Amino acid sequence: MTPVKWLMHWHPSPGATVNSQILSEACGCAESLGGSKDGRWKTSIFFYRAMTRDGAGGPAGQQHPDLPRELLGVALHERPGLYFSIVRAQRLVLQADAAFPQVMEKLQSYRIRVALNFEGFQYQLGDFCLRIGKCVPNNSEALRGIMMEVEYYPLSSIEKSKAVMEDFFDIWQETVAKKSLPGQFIHVDSSFSDYGLSDQYSFQHTAVQYATCLQQLMAAVTVRG
Amino acid sequence: MECVVQGIIETQHVEALEVLLHGLSGVPKERVRVHELCLKSGPNLGVVPSEVRLLCDLAQPTPSWTIRHVGGAMRGAGAEQISVLVRTIVESKASKNVLHYFYTLGYKLDHELLKIGFAFRFHRGAQIIVTVTSTNKMPRLHATDEAVPVTPGIQLVEITAPAAADNYNDVVSAVSAFCEYLAPLLHLSKPGHSTGIVATAGAAAASLMSSGGGKTL
Repeated sequence: MTPVKWLMHWHPSPGATVNSQILSEACGCAESLGGSKDGRWKTSIFFYRAMTRDGAGGPAGQQHPDLPRELLGVALHERPGLYFSIVRAQRLVLQADAAFPQVMEKLQSYRIRVALNFEGFQYQLGDFCLRIGKCVPNNSEALRGIMMEVEYYPLSSIEKSKAVMEDFFDIWQETVAKKSLPGQFIHVDSSFSDYGLSDQYSFQHTAVQYATCLQQLMAAVTVRG
Repeated sequence: MECVVQGIIETQHVEALEVLLHGLSGVPKERVRVHELCLKSGPNLGVVPSEVRLLCDLAQPTPSWTIRHVGGAMRGAGAEQISVLVRTIVESKASKNVLHYFYTLGYKLDHELLKIGFAFRFHRGAQIIVTVTSTNKMPRLHATDEAVPVTPGIQLVEITAPAAADNYNDVVSAVSAFCEYLAPLLHLSKPGHSTGIVATAGAAAASLMSSGGGKTL
């Protein structure tokens, strides 16, 4: 039974930027609610591009029309033995194991172009676990965004957990609002049924949320330094 | 990496081989029913063409899928001298939508087979897996219930053993030693270097079956 999880990303106010102070303040909010810091976490996302004989993975204009423009790989912090691959345009999520990237490496038909890490601290808060983190390119400290996971241990039904998660989200929003930061956290709303996923929460749901979160982060954030 | 040898045996002698394998391994046989789909990259995909196999294990109550990439064989003077093929292999479990996934990525089905038979997994100097299967083709796409043998009177025997860069010599020795036990029934060699069926197979099989399985050859 996999506990339900919501992902949220920081959406800056118009004209505002994402910076590490917001991350610190968010962690402060977790502690002010009684959260106890419990360790670090890191989830990674990999952008693959098709290698084609007439374009060899060059600019988007050379992409073959029948091949997916974007292929994602997701390595979740809580299951290092698993690997997920998502074709968002087709609403397809594949669950594989940690050897899958080696298969792709051997095939040489798709290559990793960009790797992003979501990493930070986690906090235990009663039946909840909060993971607040930054989005940074691999081997770089350039902040691309801020997001968080809210995990609720007692339930694995998405529908049944909706009320308690919404209540928590409201409390969280109020706590953060007191800091008068230029922006707010927004729930990453994923269409799980489009991916063929059921009401029973799973690691595939988390992978899909990360893919959606990334898309929303990239659309919303203007970053400086 | 894995070490591999293969051989063929007449279907009429498979039961005797099973008796021998059970005696040598001391383990019960496992049922094998694997739907193997061989996919190849589409015309424009990849700087070089690529091939990947999807294996669906139909012997389990719930079919499970494995992605398998078979790499190049070890080359060089040393490799030429050993009688066992050593090659790189990468496998990953996958969810049941893996065929749809690879089609989406631009791969096409080249051919599919159904392998039916049994396997013995045991440790004898190294972890060894012996599979004895008939290879079957399907008259219609994915019609595993209608599969018919490609070579009706002949089955394939494959011995594989997982290996690593720092122990493959020991694994090769273990596999070669084990092959000696099977020599009266079949000859095992590197894939692609088949030597056909063994002349003594009939007599050896008769001996095994008459002894009830307890006798060594």
